Amino acid sequence: MPNTATSYQLALQQLTDSALPTGAFAHSLGFETYIERGLVHDEASFGVWLSAFIGQQLTYSDGLAIRFLYEDVPVSELDSLLTAQLLPRQLREASTKMGTRLLEIGSEVFPSPELAEYRELVTAGRAAGHQPLAFAVVARSLGVPRTEALAAYLFAAATSLTQNAVRAIPLGQNAGQRLLRTASDGVAAAVERIGRLAPDDFGAVSPGLEISQMRHERQRARMFMS
Amino acid sequence: MVNPGGAYLGADLYVIDVEVADGARLLLTTQSATKIYRTPGSFAEQRMTLRLGEGAQLELAPDQLIAYREASYRQDTRITVRPSSSLVMAEVVTPGWSPDRASFRYEELRLRNEIRVETPEGAGLLALDNLLIRPPLNDVTGMGFMEGYSHLGSLVVVDARVDQALADEFHALTAGHDACTGVSLTASVGGTTGLVLRSLSNSTEELNRLLGACTALLRDRWHGQAPLNLRKY
Repeated sequence: MPNTATSYQLALQQLTDSALPTGAFAHSLGFETYIERGLVHDEASFGVWLSAFIGQQLTYSDGLAIRFLYEDVPVSELDSLLTAQLLPRQLREASTKMGTRLLEIGSEVFPSPELAEYRELVTAGRAAGHQPLAFAVVARSLGVPRTEALAAYLFAAATSLTQNAVRAIPLGQNAGQRLLRTASDGVAAAVERIGRLAPDDFGAVSPGLEISQMRHERQRARMFMS
Repeated sequence: MVNPGGAYLGADLYVIDVEVADGARLLLTTQSATKIYRTPGSFAEQRMTLRLGEGAQLELAPDQLIAYREASYRQDTRITVRPSSSLVMAEVVTPGWSPDRASFRYEELRLRNEIRVETPEGAGLLALDNLLIRPPLNDVTGMGFMEGYSHLGSLVVVDARVDQALADEFHALTAGHDACTGVSLTASVGGTTGLVLRSLSNSTEELNRLLGACTALLRDRWHGQAPLNLRKY
């Protein structure tokens, strides 16, 4: 019999695999606006954006929401906080599109009473179904410790964004791998910082990232939904 | 509102409580820029609670916020509206000022706006608009933060008449301004919707011109009022 650590680790790998069909390939979460403006155009410039995204969006929004869920803040409360805080419409829709898919997949593959409860709230229209919360509910039900869940979620997000950048900019496959190796330091720093933030810090995402996510709504030629 | 004592200092706490009654109209502005001086020991803080009744109209148009070297400031604004209320709030944050003329020499700025909609079924959260700038912690000037700009402008509109067409009109208005601007809509709560416009630029005047053009459109269309001219200076 595998021990519990092994069993949750394999489940976590499946949950964070970029092949998990949540539709992450369709979202740039704002970096496509920087490509259009010529500001992101190669490995180094995408690395700057990715580092800002990990240190801002994934720290103050997704990451903090995951931490609060692990600290027993009710999922319905966090769901409404995320809906109110994700001010760029496409970003909000990206989170609930991928979140809803994760709830569907999770219900079949990693069922738990907590996940069923969140899914029922979404079905009843009393919650929107955000990606970081769907992930956190599943990870917690599998017994994944908080810091491991945070690191896995952040690195998975960085991975799918990097894969999308490799296609969109385009970059070489090896450049993508170099970026991810560098991003792992940013992820570790972010996980450490998320642990020290206060409730009032929730949603303090930088204006630059938000403006670019908003401007994506009006971009004429685009590969991504956000 | 008169800015007391010329500026906010360390450990100052200002509590502002405003209620706009059913059907009432209020234009709330400051007498001059809100200045935050050095705050050794403890941050300066402003806590504002705004309540809008049925059909109430509030336009919040403070002068710009200036944080000086070694200043630390927290502004916490909690707003409750009814689905029939009309709220417009504009704000400009400057990079501050220091003797060596360098920008962003302050310690920390926190501006947090929480907007709730009160309906017979209870209060629902419409928007959480949280800004945190901490220059000593990391580079706030570059890509992904201030994008090389120095000033930040923000406009929030909450009204049942807010829709995508209005967001598109605001976007069209941004074209003539030297600023990098985004416009988007919140989810709807209780039949009302929020519009958020955020803009980066290098001057207070440019941002005031842009925010002024947007509020002038709303004043004319919704309330039959002329553009705002406060003639303060």
